[in-house]
Amino acid sequence: MSSTSHRVSIFLALRSLERGNRFTLGLTVLIIGLVFVMLVFQPALLAGIIQVENNQIVDYMYGNIAIEPKEHHLYIEDVSYLTEKINRIPGVVASSPRYVTAATFTYHDTTLGKTLTSVNPSDEAQVLTIPDKMITGEYLSDGDRDQIVIGELLAGHKDTSLDKLKSLGGVQVGDTIDVTFSNGVVRTYHVKGIFETQSTTVDQTGFITTKEMESVMGLSDKASIVLVKLSATGNENNFRTTMLSYGIQEPIKTWSEEGAGFVGDINTSFSLINTIMIVFSLVIGAIVIFIVIFINTVNKRKQIAIMKAIGIKKEVIVNSYLLQVTCLCIAGIVIGLLMFDLIVYYLTTHPIRFPIGDIAPIIEPVRLLGSVITLLVVSLIAGYIPARKTVDEEILDAMRG
Amino acid sequence: MIEVSGLKKIYRLGNVEVEALKGISISIQRGEFVGIMGPSGSGKSTLLHQMALLDMPSAGTILINTTDVSHLSDEERTNFRLMNLGYVFQDYALVSELNVQENVALPAIMQGRSLADSYAAAASVLEKVGLAGRLNHLVYELSGGEQQRVSIARALVNKPSIVLADEPCANLDTENSWIVLELFRAVNRDLGQTIVMVSHEPWHQEFFDRIIFIRDGLLDKDRMTREHKERTDEGL
Repeated sequence: MSSTSHRVSIFLALRSLERGNRFTLGLTVLIIGLVFVMLVFQPALLAGIIQVENNQIVDYMYGNIAIEPKEHHLYIEDVSYLTEKINRIPGVVASSPRYVTAATFTYHDTTLGKTLTSVNPSDEAQVLTIPDKMITGEYLSDGDRDQIVIGELLAGHKDTSLDKLKSLGGVQVGDTIDVTFSNGVVRTYHVKGIFETQSTTVDQTGFITTKEMESVMGLSDKASIVLVKLSATGNENNFRTTMLSYGIQEPIKTWSEEGAGFVGDINTSFSLINTIMIVFSLVIGAIVIFIVIFINTVNKRKQIAIMKAIGIKKEVIVNSYLLQVTCLCIAGIVIGLLMFDLIVYYLTTHPIRFPIGDIAPIIEPVRLLGSVITLLVVSLIAGYIPARKTVDEEILDAMRG
Repeated sequence: MIEVSGLKKIYRLGNVEVEALKGISISIQRGEFVGIMGPSGSGKSTLLHQMALLDMPSAGTILINTTDVSHLSDEERTNFRLMNLGYVFQDYALVSELNVQENVALPAIMQGRSLADSYAAAASVLEKVGLAGRLNHLVYELSGGEQQRVSIARALVNKPSIVLADEPCANLDTENSWIVLELFRAVNRDLGQTIVMVSHEPWHQEFFDRIIFIRDGLLDKDRMTREHKERTDEGL
């Protein structure tokens, strides 16, 4: 197309936008804006959910990196030597060895089989944030022997209808519960505190000190897993190489690898739902834009025929419509971005309380850019079809209406 | 200038064929002011549409300035209209989103002239049709007669060799019709442009050099007007 044709297309598009029906124009921009919000809000919310899940894995379950026993070994041996070595690596904040075992918890007449974990409380406090999540009582101290802290889901309520999962039926701080270990030893512990992380997995477990676990299980300087907290999240894969260079021989896993099993499926499901909803939003958006442009062009059939009759090329007219659509789409996206920013601002200050935690939408620039480009492309296609259809009509037929 | 030979136009309405033009042959010379007249449904507008390249003939040929326009592609016809023809519609057919000056300037801009040049050309033509004070008005702010004068100005802005007008006075009162016809007469006389105008008003005849009468899709009569003879005699 020649520069003259471009010039005329721009001229016609600008005049149409300038002098067209303001209400239709505003409505179209608003609709495109809402479609844009539909496109970006849901993925942002899902990104928020995924981040909360990921944070839970890092903060309550695995830290940044987890070191596991060598193949065919039940425990990591010489844990104190290993943790000393780990703690010397630049970038490591702290490490926390844990011993994890199955146990049976008994409170009054209720007995439940759950996981019991032993920790060094002072180490644990530097690696995970469970100690900050006590809803009643206190977290363990290094010297505690007959104390236990348990999750809110395990403690439960006296009114069991309030429980999400089967619980011990309303354990309170100060109560005693009996724990039967996997080797058959039974110990009675005072409940020192109850925590709530909103992670279903964590809130069903109990914690005692490592010294207590060692005395029951007859272990020494061993661990089922060592959790490592790094100064920054996101560089775990590279850090694994660093750890190997420091002579760590045990299997090293990142938090995302540890969480891949249970969170991976959820994330994949969310991604699938997300994709379906995006396609759905785009189809709705395309249909709305198509209808608006179609009505617009049908109303201007005669005008288009007049322009053709006086020598304006079809491509010039079609391009003028595409330019109008582009302008409307950009304006719609700007409006949509403003609405989206307002929503994000509100939900960041007032997060939505989901069962898994407080969720705020997260803006991902790449996804935002993708939505902008997608909406532009869809708008252009939805605008092109009716414009082309009307322009291809015979002049006299269009003039007669 | 315009050579129409054996022109036929058949419309198909479902299974019914309507022969609007049944093989018309006419020749129009450069600088003529020709009126095409005839009763309603005689085919006069159909003939004008074929000559204006707004419709494709079913048979026959149309030569305009030696170009056989009856076989041009859609794009070629659009370009030919832009470069060679001016067309005035019965119902003015102005672009509502453009003001008076922009409506007139549009064909000039499409021809590749600069915006300033096109606006200047439009202002000049609009002055000639008596609308110099209405340049920035939107079309709905004008009377029917004024809108038709804008339409004429648009047809003239590119100085086409041929101007075709389809009953341009049909929606106008006598006074405005007179203004429009005088305008065509002046354009024909001063600029030497060929004007072909469809009309069914007998009193319009005095403005034409020549009248082609169409009846039932066929050429009925083709004669020079008395006024043309008088004008020619005065010229001699």
